[in-house]
Amino acid sequence: MSTPGPERRPGRTRVALALLIAGVPLALALLGPLFAGDPGPRATSFALGDGHWLGTDFVGRDVWRQILLGGRSVVVSALAATALAYLVALPVGLIAALTHRRWLEEALLRPLDVLLAVPSLLLILLVATVLAPGAPGLALLVALVNVPDAARIVRAAAAEAAARPAVEALRMQGESWWRMGVGYVGRSMLRTLAADAGVRLTGVLYLVSTAAFLGVGVAPDAADWAVMVDRNRTGLWVQPWAVVVPALLIVALTMGGNLLVDAVLGKGKPNAPRGKRI
Amino acid sequence: MSGLRSWLARRLLAGVAQTAAVVVLVFALTEALPGDAAVALAGDQPDPARIAAIRETMELDRPAAVRLLDWATGLLHGDLGTSLVSGRPVSTYVSDGFGPTLLLAALTLLLLVPVGVGLGVLAARHVGRWPDRVISSVTLGVYAVPEFALGTLLVTVFALRLGWFPPTAVGYGGDLSGHPAALVLPVLVLLSRPVCSLSRLVRAGMIDALAAPYTAQARRYGVGGARVLLAHALPNAVAPAAQQLARTVDWLLCGVIVVEALFVFPGLGTVLMNAVAERDVPVVQGLAVVFGVLTVVLNLGADLVARRLTPRAEVAA
Repeated sequence: MSTPGPERRPGRTRVALALLIAGVPLALALLGPLFAGDPGPRATSFALGDGHWLGTDFVGRDVWRQILLGGRSVVVSALAATALAYLVALPVGLIAALTHRRWLEEALLRPLDVLLAVPSLLLILLVATVLAPGAPGLALLVALVNVPDAARIVRAAAAEAAARPAVEALRMQGESWWRMGVGYVGRSMLRTLAADAGVRLTGVLYLVSTAAFLGVGVAPDAADWAVMVDRNRTGLWVQPWAVVVPALLIVALTMGGNLLVDAVLGKGKPNAPRGKRI
Repeated sequence: MSGLRSWLARRLLAGVAQTAAVVVLVFALTEALPGDAAVALAGDQPDPARIAAIRETMELDRPAAVRLLDWATGLLHGDLGTSLVSGRPVSTYVSDGFGPTLLLAALTLLLLVPVGVGLGVLAARHVGRWPDRVISSVTLGVYAVPEFALGTLLVTVFALRLGWFPPTAVGYGGDLSGHPAALVLPVLVLLSRPVCSLSRLVRAGMIDALAAPYTAQARRYGVGGARVLLAHALPNAVAPAAQQLARTVDWLLCGVIVVEALFVFPGLGTVLMNAVAERDVPVVQGLAVVFGVLTVVLNLGADLVARRLTPRAEVAA
């Protein structure tokens, strides 16, 4: 169905558009802290003008400076949580797919199914009731929530690759488990995993920022875009910029991120859902 | 027929096992954590009297397994426990928040299926042309946006700038059905993500179904275009979407919590967030069980719908 020639052009413009949308918040998040400078003296809360070109926030800090500082935590937590989820899901999924012992597969995957039965945000809130997880704790929790689904996808991709004749040949040659599991199976499922990682990253971004908005894993006055949206809402009537700008940045980051993942990894095949096509 | 019955029995059994697992998980996450739960729950300035009170109410001196068993038997009898903060039974918290949340969820579900399926069919009919491109890009973009960010922007535009809708549900008390204007923005925000995922799935399924031999055959018989679309292609296109509804259920429950916090909606989500803030463990546990059981039941329903729509396909994980 996909014809490489005529589809390359729209594909490229889609990538450019997505890069443009996601690029602004990403650049602000990663480079912002370098340009933030020193905190100025506190002004009155929710003031406009007076040297603060986006006004001040609920405790009188400069909103522009908070914006420069507030993206890094969102982006870094999301990246860390995605990486952590795969750190667990990869070995679990690979072992479950390659083992010939049925009980081992069951023992690895069944407990994870339980996690799937609880809504992800609820799981995070449950732990937050008893502990006060910091930013690393939140990343860990979000990673945990993502492990079951990621492990299933790894297992499915690995099982498909492990059923190929090439693996049988390797086994008959007496190759080590490591060379079969990581060298062949691991390599041949990279594309599926890259697509899944992209989709997962946008989901993780959603969870991390939503948890921060609800006050989990962040200090109440943290420089974090999601926290800014929450805390400055009381001044929405007087000083909307302290809410609108961080909210817009989060929308651009998640929206652009998803468009980018689709444009790069979907390879211009909008009507073929992942893993379908027989 | 016996195949269906045994499938149903296995699926129901799995549902029961999942429910039991949810109960154990909720308990383990909130009570079996290392450290002294009573000290942790007493807050930043631990007061010995409060610690002792918590320890007594939660019976922390008894072994965890016994407490779990007690709690689970209570749940079976509909006893969700007692609040640490107010001393009221948890079930009153649930019944307080149930009405508004049910209203919100029912309205959302009522709109979700027609809007999501409609957009998907519309895009699939005009695949590659502008209606498809607009619908596909917008749904792909909005799909990943957190409700709180989208909701705040909508409130700023439609409530503050234009003044069309009230910004929050504050001041309407329990009588929300009498104020439909206060429901527009919450329902819209809650719909945003599920509609996108549903319409994308339906679109993909419809494109496959419309390219299949059986629709071509139906056309050759002279069956009208609309009939082919709605009676022949649609049921086959919706089946994979129904199986994916499980994820949508998860999103809806997460979305309810966020939307209620955003619009100060007096439902279960707000009750839950207040209990989390007050570290009222029994209330959080009770609500978590309610939400968890709801997830299990809705997943079961989604599987049944998927099974009903494509009886031939074995629903294998």
